[in-house]
Amino acid sequence: MRMADKILTEENLVSRHGIIELIEHWAIATSGLLLLLTGIFELPVAKRYYFIVVPGLGWSADFITSLYIHYAASLVFTAAGIFHLAYHGLRNEKGLIPRKGDMAESVTVIKSLFGFGKEPPMPKYLPEQRLAYVGMAFIMAILIISGLIKTYKNIYAPDMSLTIVLWATWVHNIFFILFFLAFLAHMAAIALRPNWPMVRGILTGNVRLNYARHRHSLWLAEIEKVEVVLVATAQEIVLPPIEAEPLPKPQTLQQEGLMPATDGETAKANDEVTNEKIASDSKD
Amino acid sequence: MSDQKISKINRRSFLQITVGAAAFAGISLPKTVQAASDKQLSTLIDLSLCDGCADRETPACVSSCKSINQDKIPKVADNIPEPWPRKTIEDWSKKKEVTNRLTPYNFIYVHKAEIEASGRKKIVFVPRRCMHCDNPACATICPFSANHKNENGAVVINQKQCFGGAKCRDVCPWEIPQRQSGVGIYLHVLPGLMGNGVMYKCDLCNERLKEGKLPGCVEACPRKAMLIGQKFDMETEAQERAQRMSGYIYGKKENGGTATFYVSPVPFELINKTMPKKPGQPDMMPEVQRRMAGTDNLGKVVLAAPFLGLAAAGALGWFTRRKELVKKEVENENG
Repeated sequence: MRMADKILTEENLVSRHGIIELIEHWAIATSGLLLLLTGIFELPVAKRYYFIVVPGLGWSADFITSLYIHYAASLVFTAAGIFHLAYHGLRNEKGLIPRKGDMAESVTVIKSLFGFGKEPPMPKYLPEQRLAYVGMAFIMAILIISGLIKTYKNIYAPDMSLTIVLWATWVHNIFFILFFLAFLAHMAAIALRPNWPMVRGILTGNVRLNYARHRHSLWLAEIEKVEVVLVATAQEIVLPPIEAEPLPKPQTLQQEGLMPATDGETAKANDEVTNEKIASDSKD
Repeated sequence: MSDQKISKINRRSFLQITVGAAAFAGISLPKTVQAASDKQLSTLIDLSLCDGCADRETPACVSSCKSINQDKIPKVADNIPEPWPRKTIEDWSKKKEVTNRLTPYNFIYVHKAEIEASGRKKIVFVPRRCMHCDNPACATICPFSANHKNENGAVVINQKQCFGGAKCRDVCPWEIPQRQSGVGIYLHVLPGLMGNGVMYKCDLCNERLKEGKLPGCVEACPRKAMLIGQKFDMETEAQERAQRMSGYIYGKKENGGTATFYVSPVPFELINKTMPKKPGQPDMMPEVQRRMAGTDNLGKVVLAAPFLGLAAAGALGWFTRRKELVKKEVENENG
């Protein structure tokens, strides 16, 4: 979970992705699509298949123009991919790393998408999302490494060892196909109705609260737990250990005086009430 | 004059190759050839010496090349698959005898340039074939790496890997490679939808070089208008010859530099005017640019992209962490 994940009660939303995640996703998505397109145009297909007669694609048979765009897109793709790994690695954000049992749980979730069985309570990311993430990251890593070798060869070493050139070329070509298939699978996943609410998330950063509560209840519980801890920390109180039972909603907490009040005096008054309440709860 | 030049070149190692070949045609060359083929080679074509083999039906370089490569192309399919949707088929298998242009069966031809310079008519014969560029787009941009520049400078198409998409011809400023449909690996994959044959061009007789032999055209030239040797030596020789004849060099700067130096007593602008660009008949535009050079700077930034990503992650990670700590401190103070 990101530290910035939080419930926006008034808007009835939950913040799922921050601006950095949105920029990362769309930078990789748009550059990846451009790489796919210009990668196809690096094959001698544009003239043969009449892409050149499509308005706006007159350049598609010019391999050097395609290479300019391919390079520009790969600059964004590579930098964004490496940034993503390093930035979230540094921040220890591991929500998308597969966990034990993800494979079996993915089968349960996918079956439930087609009406067979019930979907178990989910954290922020679904198990198949975590598996797909690692698959896509692997494909991207291979494409980036082989692409960098090809770029180096283009600029500095046209007479590089033929063995290395052949490996880099064929690995790049095969993973280009895998990347295309992975992209199709990604599109197929968001075409499924239960996943539609997540589209809003990747477009705006927020998902509907009732969707999150219904489908990502473990994530919501985690957010609510953190929010309570934060409130408690701000008030310099030690909370008793939280049991697995469902937490009260933030509105309830505020009504009960567990959430900070908005103005100074009320806050002070509430603090006293809160301290008493927490103290009595601790005794229980 | 020719003898004088040869004796001068003979003092150089690369000339041992030519003289050795002339003296012992068909016999293995001295070890210097093998040594030279380990490094980057280059050829020199002296247009002041080439007479187009006026006394022969076919120039010696062309005959020799055809003879060496006569069995190179396997038997063409009886029914060449019709490519879809654009139905272009290039079949030279029934026109193997053509020698006045480049074809899959003819990797070198001799252009006759009739030039009027300073009020005088002059005829220059120009053998044309692959220039074996220093950084050949035809090879680097091949989607299957079927075309590759070897360490010795020879740019060689592997006909077993080539799908005949003709991309190499499109990116070559001289449109040198030529396609033969109905042969090659594409016949075994998706012949109607993907590929269209195999591309063919001069490979500098790379196999012969490996065996310590000279390229066929160099070996066969009766006037020693063609030489091969280490690139530095060939370039020096080309400059010296051009200086002596107050002449011109082609191939040194063109397309970013090549492994073929033409030396001519007449400007290449004038020669080029006699060469309207036609299929299989390249022009000789002086200082033609290597178009891929324009992409090099962007490519260098791409190579730096991983470091840019790391630097941005480090900087933003530090900034975000700092922001969060400050926020926490403020909250604690206000709490």
